[in-house]
Amino acid sequence: MLAELTLTLLLLLSPLALGQTQIHQFQYQTDEQFHEELVVRPLAGDHVNTYFQFTTRWHYGVHKNLYHTQLTPRVIAEILQTYDVRELHIGLTQGLWRYETWGYPIVEATGGAELWAWFSSPNLTDDSVNNQWMRLANVFSGILCASLNFVDNTNSIAPKHIFRPQFMESGHRSQQFVRYATLPREIVCTENLTPWKKLLPCGSASGLATLLNSGYVHNTKYHSLGVKVRTLCDSDDPNNCIVELTQTANLVYDLKLLEQSNTDFSLRRLFGMGLNGYCEMANSSKIYVQRNEQGERFQLTPPPQEEVLSKVGGHSVLFGVYDIQQQFEGPGARLFNIAWLGPKGNSKREHMSPPPLYAHRYLLGNGQKHGRIATEVTNTHYEPLPVVLMELVPWYVHAYLHTLRISSKPQHLYEYTTNELKYSLLHYAPGKQRVLPTHLEIGFMLPARSSALITIEVDYLLLKWLEYPPDANHGHYIGSAVISSQLPIGRNYTALPLEGYLFQDSFNASRTAYMLTLRTEALIVSLPTPDFSMPYNVICLACTVVALAFGPIHSVATKLIIVERQTTIPRNLLRKIVHKLTTRFSRRPANSAVNEQQNDEQNGKGKEKEKKKEQEKKQLDQTENKKFCDKQAHM
Amino acid sequence: MVCYSNKTLTVPANFCLPNGLWKQEPVKMGLLSDPSISTHNKLVDSLAKHMRKLCYVFYTAGVVWFMCLALPEFNHGTYLSENALSPGLVYPEIRIDSNRLALQLLEELQRERKEHQSTTPHAWILGKFNEFGLETYIHNYTLRYPFGGGKEFHGKNIYGILRAPRIGSTEGIVFSAPYRPPSSVHDDISASVPVLLTFAEFARRKNYWAKDLVFLVTEQEQLGMQAWLEAYHDGDKKYDTSSSYLVPGNLPARAGALQAAVNIEVEDLEIDYVDVKIEGLNGKLPNLDMFNLVQRIMAREGVTSGYKQAPRKKRRTNYSTYEQNLRQMLAMLSAQTSGVPSGNHGLFHRYRIDALTISAAKRVTNSNVKSNPSSAAVPFLKAIEGISRSLNNLLERFHQSFFFYLIVHNDRYVSIGDYMPALVALIACGFVKAYLIWSTLDAPEHTSQQDADTNPPAVYLKLTLPYGSVLIYLTVSVVIGYMGNVLPLQKYLISLPIGAGPLTVAMLMAINLAGFALPFFLVLPFGGLELLHISLLLIYSCALIVIGLLNFALGFFVAVLSMPMIVALDPNTTNVTLRGLARLWTLLLNPVVVIYAVVLVLTFYQFPELAFQQLLLRAATAAMDAVTFALIDSVIYGNWLYFVACTVFFPLWIACWTLALGRRGDNTISKTKLKTN
Repeated sequence: MLAELTLTLLLLLSPLALGQTQIHQFQYQTDEQFHEELVVRPLAGDHVNTYFQFTTRWHYGVHKNLYHTQLTPRVIAEILQTYDVRELHIGLTQGLWRYETWGYPIVEATGGAELWAWFSSPNLTDDSVNNQWMRLANVFSGILCASLNFVDNTNSIAPKHIFRPQFMESGHRSQQFVRYATLPREIVCTENLTPWKKLLPCGSASGLATLLNSGYVHNTKYHSLGVKVRTLCDSDDPNNCIVELTQTANLVYDLKLLEQSNTDFSLRRLFGMGLNGYCEMANSSKIYVQRNEQGERFQLTPPPQEEVLSKVGGHSVLFGVYDIQQQFEGPGARLFNIAWLGPKGNSKREHMSPPPLYAHRYLLGNGQKHGRIATEVTNTHYEPLPVVLMELVPWYVHAYLHTLRISSKPQHLYEYTTNELKYSLLHYAPGKQRVLPTHLEIGFMLPARSSALITIEVDYLLLKWLEYPPDANHGHYIGSAVISSQLPIGRNYTALPLEGYLFQDSFNASRTAYMLTLRTEALIVSLPTPDFSMPYNVICLACTVVALAFGPIHSVATKLIIVERQTTIPRNLLRKIVHKLTTRFSRRPANSAVNEQQNDEQNGKGKEKEKKKEQEKKQLDQTENKKFCDKQAHM
Repeated sequence: MVCYSNKTLTVPANFCLPNGLWKQEPVKMGLLSDPSISTHNKLVDSLAKHMRKLCYVFYTAGVVWFMCLALPEFNHGTYLSENALSPGLVYPEIRIDSNRLALQLLEELQRERKEHQSTTPHAWILGKFNEFGLETYIHNYTLRYPFGGGKEFHGKNIYGILRAPRIGSTEGIVFSAPYRPPSSVHDDISASVPVLLTFAEFARRKNYWAKDLVFLVTEQEQLGMQAWLEAYHDGDKKYDTSSSYLVPGNLPARAGALQAAVNIEVEDLEIDYVDVKIEGLNGKLPNLDMFNLVQRIMAREGVTSGYKQAPRKKRRTNYSTYEQNLRQMLAMLSAQTSGVPSGNHGLFHRYRIDALTISAAKRVTNSNVKSNPSSAAVPFLKAIEGISRSLNNLLERFHQSFFFYLIVHNDRYVSIGDYMPALVALIACGFVKAYLIWSTLDAPEHTSQQDADTNPPAVYLKLTLPYGSVLIYLTVSVVIGYMGNVLPLQKYLISLPIGAGPLTVAMLMAINLAGFALPFFLVLPFGGLELLHISLLLIYSCALIVIGLLNFALGFFVAVLSMPMIVALDPNTTNVTLRGLARLWTLLLNPVVVIYAVVLVLTFYQFPELAFQQLLLRAATAAMDAVTFALIDSVIYGNWLYFVACTVFFPLWIACWTLALGRRGDNTISKTKLKTN
């Protein structure tokens, strides 16, 4: 009972409740703002998380103002017009966020490319949304130089429960549509970073974005670029709207990979250069440095200008704040650098307690015919947690709903027991070969201090030979599962609150519950793959053999072969001529008979069967005679 | 008139066919229903005359072809098929400080080993993994030993995962090292864990990894590895206590789809040579590319390495001679026959993960090559680094090159297309003989009915053969054989207070006795023996072809051993001495006798100083152990040698024995004395 209640609460958290106060705040602001922020958080295990957030917030008022952009990139404004997009998330990620050691990230992303969007407009239908979704993906494929053009209806789904809109509609209540797709195979590189930086007002010329050098960014353990767009409109006044573009870059550095002996690091070590100033367009540009937990052991030079203590859900975090605009107030160009000096001597590695909820996914079974997709969700909290899990299984893998099992175990055991959890919510849309992916959403209560293993059996499909990618034996990807929950405590929780748009909005943002979404690992399945060195040989050889064999076999099977011996020809010239003449005359009827017989066979006319039989008899006699002739000749 | 004279026909020496028969032949041109190749014609008759000769020609051809494979004209030089491996493309970066670390770790481990005489120093290994900054996990497993009243053994594997910076944990490579406590009966390989840890420490500081690296330390030899692999791939299985013996549990963390595995066994940091072990479970092999990769990189780093590498003293020459090649091939086949993996790598093959063992042997002291102990292991560490970087380069799973091959010399191989003809030639005798017996079955009937125009007597005879009773006979023998699989594992028998060895052997003896006695109780009716003979030949040949495809070594050796007996077998021979010899031969080829003989020969080579009687006794106990281990292997690891011996070879032997005895229904013997040869 309690479980269902929490679950419905989780699902029905509507966007309308959140922003009433917000609307009034920006009622009469008509300007455009740009903020740049950098958060540096030392993590467990010699890792450092650096998080860049660039926020452009434009109170554009009337809809047609969208054609005259200043700080907001024109493309972003245009897609709102053209494709009825109200909210858009794009993530381009390399690596995997390790929840157990790093806690929760500020923004979530899955490996490869991830894209989801909310559409809303008075006259939208499901089909037109499908169409617009594909066009939207194609537009961003160009903007970000990513393979988002591979997003189409064969790998997109419309999530039912897991995503909730973060935008606000103007007055009219029109239907809302959501689409979600991932491309786990996408490799994120410099070619994505450069166009991403071009969306910023200052580009990579000045400001915090100068720190994002591809040589350093891509040497990290995890890097994720994000673009998030949402619109917030006054529910009464459709001409009072805000568009909010948030660009994020989330990086995790491994200090061991920086090839240095101690644990000291600095902005220059991480990014290759110090900071040369701030973006002149920015209203604020700040650096936040976490000082407690893992950050406690570091000394900062220069020391932060101020310190902020943030208490979220009974969990306090101390941040040191550097205001870059203040830093560069005086005359003269300087490079600004922050150094983290670790303790001297070998410090004992402290054990990091895992966050309240984390998940893993793996493939079980062996062979190329079938397997099981297993997702393991662990709750380390002392209360049960509601969990919603979404699976998007591509069409080349058949999932069977009747094999869905949720088995549970206490957290400290390794073996799963036979008792199964009951799900309180299930949405299943079966896949269709080459048309639709399988879409599965399950909601259940996860008991305190226990793990749940959700398994579903799948069959691997044998693809058509043109459907295999060039490196067929690499395997095919199954995108990550998305897991959503509501945490009662704010431990390790750093995401921005729904109504906020700056990192500082997350300070002291205590709520009754904290919305959490997790992403698991992607999977590689090896589908049954033919040996691609063979087909060419085999096809060529088999075709040649068939072509060569067909002619003789066909003629042997349909024609009658009569062997004629030339031994009876006399030697005398005159007699020869006479013999030739006689044989020619006598042979002619025989030849015609053969022809006629063939015609009969082809036409298959019943009335000529008798005639045919007669002819056959004649031929039999002839062949017999010939046989005798041959024998005589041999003798 | 066409006249025949056929010595094999008993009653009239000559018979003639009217011309009318010939009249029909050239007219009908149906391809498959051509009566000219029907049951008896000139060709078949003349072949039947020389059947035994023909079979022996096939047999010799097969054996000679196999011998020829050792000639350089019949095998090929190895090459790398997979371009992504590009061995030796990068400069090795591992330096002398890693060697220092390895020495230090070895020293620490030796100290730990003094305290842990029969256990694994788990805490020390765990601590080291943690210190190097790897995600470290423990895997617990349980073995419920089927014999001896259900004892339970608990084991622990320790593994650390290096999460690769360039991938989201979708793919992984395993580096494993078995740990043996000082009390172990096997060779001391205590240096493997330090080498593994040293490499882990080095790899942790590099950012080019595109596959997660799993560093795994297993205990209890292959059992630990099997448990880990089963937990990795079937972690969600719920095991009922009654029928499962190995309970692997689940793993706390994984590293995606495993692409390859390297098992490291190092006797000492001062390395003389490296032996690359490749034979896996049921004779499976890793991809030839992987073997070549190891060979290339070892050669680059100047480490002597090879397949079945021998110590420096025993190596006479680097050049391959014919004799050496043949020895190498036979050694490889004999290692594959039993289906027991030659190292921990062999268990990976079952999950389609290519794996091999790099086994480094200790340098014997008075060698003329002086080496500095502080840098002795550097070439070996460099080689491991090179192998791992090549594997890291792999874009696809191993799929090119060969999975079925014979290694003739370290750089020469025979592919499946070249060695299968040998087996096919051996087995061809079976099919040819079966066909000839079948086509000559009706020969005497012609003598009684002169007018062949009416009803073809051949069809008549063949239709009246006792198919049903032969089928029942074969089923009974298969059931008797299958009992060997089931009986020793029955609950009430296991609970008896006897050891596993005597119990299994007693069961097998009982089954053998049943098979031996079967032809005395079940006598086939008229024509049954001939039909049994034909079906024996067909089943035997098909079974050997299938076994040969899966495990060439087993199929080939069984064919070489038993084919002459099968060819010589003739239930209709009147010669008493011949019949006696055939019976003796069949008895000698009884699976149990063969196992005993093989073990006896092995024992003789191992303990040549023993007296004959002692030798026989020791071989008997060794054979008993071998059978028990085969049964346990089949239950825990999935080795199918025991199953094949019980369910395929033994029933076939029962059929052979029946034919050698030649007992048939009494009332029909005098009436039809079929003589097929």
